Amino acid sequence: MRHRTFFAFILPSLVVMLLFIALPILSVAYQSLFIEHEQAMTAVETCDPFGCKTELRVDAAAMEALREAEPMGKFNGLGTYANSSHLAFDELAAIWRDSPSLGVAFTRMLNLPLYKALSFTLAYTFIVTPLVIITGFFIALGVNAIPGLIKGPVIFFSLLPMIVTPLIGSLVLFWMIDSNGILGASLQRLLGDPSLTLKASPTLTWTVLMVYGVWHSAPFSFIVYYAGLQSVPKDTLESAMIDGASRWERVRYVIIPHLLPLTTFIALMQLMDNFRVLEPIVGFSAAANATSLSYLIYNDLRGAETPLFGSAGATSMLTICGVIILLSPVLLRTWRDFNRKTH
Amino acid sequence: MKNRAERQPLPLMLLCWGFVLIWLITAAFPFLWTLWGSFKVEADFFSYADWMNAVTGTRTIQQTGSAFTGAGYEGAWVEQRFWLAVINTAIVTVCVVVISLTIGTLGGYALARSGFRYTFWILIAALIFRAMPHVTLVSGYLLPFFQLNIWGYLPTTIIVLVAINQPFTLWMLHSFFLSIPKDLDESAMVDGCTRFQAFRLVIIPVMWPGVVTTGLFSFLLAYNDFTVTSMLLTQENQTMVPKIASFLGTVQAENKVMYAVAAVVSAMGPLFVLVLFFQRQIVSGLTAGAVKG
Amino acid sequence: MAQLRLVNVTKAYGDYVGVRGFSLDIKDQEFLVLLGPSGCGKSTTMRMIAGLEDVTSGEIWLGDRMVNNLEPKDRDISMVFQSYGLYPNMTVYENIRFPLKVRRVPAAQQHDMVMRAAQMVELTEYLDRRPAALSGGQRQRVALGRAIVRKPTVFLMDEPLSNLDAKLRVSTRAQIKNLQHTLKTTTVYVTHDQIEAMTLADRVVVMNRGEIQQVGTPTDIYDMPANTFVAGFIGSPAMNLIEGTLANGSFTAEGLRIDGLTTAHSGNVTLGFRAEDATITRQGGQIAAPVYSIELLGEASMISYRIGGALVSVKAAKDYRAAIGEIVEASIPAGICHLFDTASGKRLGAA
Repeated sequence: MRHRTFFAFILPSLVVMLLFIALPILSVAYQSLFIEHEQAMTAVETCDPFGCKTELRVDAAAMEALREAEPMGKFNGLGTYANSSHLAFDELAAIWRDSPSLGVAFTRMLNLPLYKALSFTLAYTFIVTPLVIITGFFIALGVNAIPGLIKGPVIFFSLLPMIVTPLIGSLVLFWMIDSNGILGASLQRLLGDPSLTLKASPTLTWTVLMVYGVWHSAPFSFIVYYAGLQSVPKDTLESAMIDGASRWERVRYVIIPHLLPLTTFIALMQLMDNFRVLEPIVGFSAAANATSLSYLIYNDLRGAETPLFGSAGATSMLTICGVIILLSPVLLRTWRDFNRKTH
Repeated sequence: MKNRAERQPLPLMLLCWGFVLIWLITAAFPFLWTLWGSFKVEADFFSYADWMNAVTGTRTIQQTGSAFTGAGYEGAWVEQRFWLAVINTAIVTVCVVVISLTIGTLGGYALARSGFRYTFWILIAALIFRAMPHVTLVSGYLLPFFQLNIWGYLPTTIIVLVAINQPFTLWMLHSFFLSIPKDLDESAMVDGCTRFQAFRLVIIPVMWPGVVTTGLFSFLLAYNDFTVTSMLLTQENQTMVPKIASFLGTVQAENKVMYAVAAVVSAMGPLFVLVLFFQRQIVSGLTAGAVKG
Repeated sequence: MAQLRLVNVTKAYGDYVGVRGFSLDIKDQEFLVLLGPSGCGKSTTMRMIAGLEDVTSGEIWLGDRMVNNLEPKDRDISMVFQSYGLYPNMTVYENIRFPLKVRRVPAAQQHDMVMRAAQMVELTEYLDRRPAALSGGQRQRVALGRAIVRKPTVFLMDEPLSNLDAKLRVSTRAQIKNLQHTLKTTTVYVTHDQIEAMTLADRVVVMNRGEIQQVGTPTDIYDMPANTFVAGFIGSPAMNLIEGTLANGSFTAEGLRIDGLTTAHSGNVTLGFRAEDATITRQGGQIAAPVYSIELLGEASMISYRIGGALVSVKAAKDYRAAIGEIVEASIPAGICHLFDTASGKRLGAA
């Protein structure tokens, strides 16, 4: 295929990706260097029969002029990154100075918004991902062992948690786990603790969110593993039988090595998806106890009266750095493979 | 007659059945429960006193005179104008699927059929783009969209969703195209087709399964998206998912949670139908990426 | 004693019968080849011996043990698979050691046993490679090494050479023959390739449609095929088979008449003769027909005719040339002819 033909074919796709993925990333980076204009105030003297008062009022005209002159806001350099709702260098230094022990310092650090979100995001990513892989693997082994006739319906129901919109899925679970819902109420009665609710403790909130995460993603690893099980080389499996391997040894030495490349694939997909967790936090209204990096950005753009573009931009850039770090092993390996192939 | 390699001793068999059964309940029960509960009144659906109420519909009978009520659905579809969101969702998903597939098949084909160094880099870039959290992209859209005055409209959202969807579509179609022998388009070109004719007349007809599978995933992305649609659409143009999110707060305050439950069940319906009819394609699509590794 | 006995072994899948009433005694140290076209039940028979398939009815005896209900691992056999069944994640060394490891052979002995096996299959240089980094022939030898490492009572080999290229097949064939001779282990070998069967076997079992057609030494089977199936399957090219009628020791078919057959039979028969037994002659041949095609094989030239519906080949000297369409005569003396009953396909005695 000639270069010209190649580009003619791929151009629309490339343009769309550059315009709406690459460009916004640059725009976010630029945006993160600015901060919203402070409100321009003017002193207005108002007089009434009881005397004159001077009031400060928002000067709409001046604001308009400011916005006109600098539509991005005021240049702030890396200030937004350093402020208390992001990397919070000053606060960190203060905590470091004042804390009696490392444990206390750590607890205090996790109260800073960005670190709080980061801690949940990382915990969610690195707890849910392995659990998804393990659960999916065992479901696949189980389904593989049952008669073929009912595999279809089993797969149908298994797909539902994954296919359903994350927000809707988390609402469905939320309504059941809520203190008035069937699971929540039953648990309260079972444990004899009427004050037990989802929002009662961060641990509980985190657990519920992670349970949702596993429930939502286990079908994915199940399906991938299940397909992998269908392609286990029969010869090798039978060799192992004749060589004297027990049932477990066959799983250990033949099936698991065969599924290993699939595990890398599932882990990669899951890391990417879990790192951007957002919908369950909205669906479970869990923001008080658990926020994620994505949620911080969402909240900056949505929650405030005027969107805080600078703040959202800074968090976005930090999140993107996180994604790159997360992906770096994969990218490095691909890069090395590619080099080996071409040289 | 089963092969000896597949035969299981009884305890292991029971273990497998037990495990699968537990999983099935975990996977399916929440949906069935919500579906059932959506036809009850709130006092039954959230029956703190006794969950059997939800099954028998005690309060529902007290309040409406019948064990089932469509009040939630009526409230959501009529009072909250959910039908508008449904129409918007239909427009958005159809457009996203059509545009994604059109430009995605062209691009995927080009990537699969050229051995240049930069195809590798395009695929890697696509992988990185695929990993970008959508909300970070959205925070980059808002300001320019406000300035260009294109914020809030369906077409804007559609093109954004197409773009976000593109990396995945490219990867998937690329691997599908790789599985079609090169001989096919080469013989077409020897027979006198141009590259584009070969693509349109010879490759696309045998690519239908791949296109359908990829289309399903494009549909799911557009249908299930929350981040983009909730940030880029005006109240009037909202699709189903952001609509549910936005009236969740108000109906909760007004003791009309059942509206939200009904809306949620309504939004799940099409997905159920989709899985029912396209289970095979969804499974093959999930594994297509894995085979490529 | 590694004697293997199959008594009336049958394998059925629902209504379909894969192997029917297979009975055979395999002697200690014998090299037995199961030969037949694909789908004839030869692999199923072997898999039943291995314990990978259940026996529907009948008995399999290994020495003095009835092994029908034993797991494959308890039968003390080893098997080489068509696509080798190597463990891709293990090195050559680990692959060969695997049977020892899972059978809990004391670790101290394992290394020596692996090294001895590796030496026999000439793999000592490749011990730390993965199967993916080996050539087809090397992989095949790993499978062999893994089979012999544990001195089993019976070797089973399921088309072990069919994934190799023609040249490698010849050398590996010799290696297998030599290995079996050295180890003196009873071997059952499945193949669809009659040359492999002829070269390797002490005895050949020809199978078709799940049933034994003939059991015998390679010479028996070549010289005295028991029926038209065996006649048409063995030999390269296969035996020429021509349908016709027999009366008073004379066979007649369209364009062919052979007299002087010493037989008491008459009626519809199929006459067979081998291309290499017939000769091209200047005159007085039983066939005088236009040449359909001539193929130069190097060591000979193969002339073929169309007689009736069948293609009939005759081997000529290597420098023989004829044009297609030219009338050429071939001599088919009664002495080289085999007679089969057309209806049953069975060989007619006293030819």
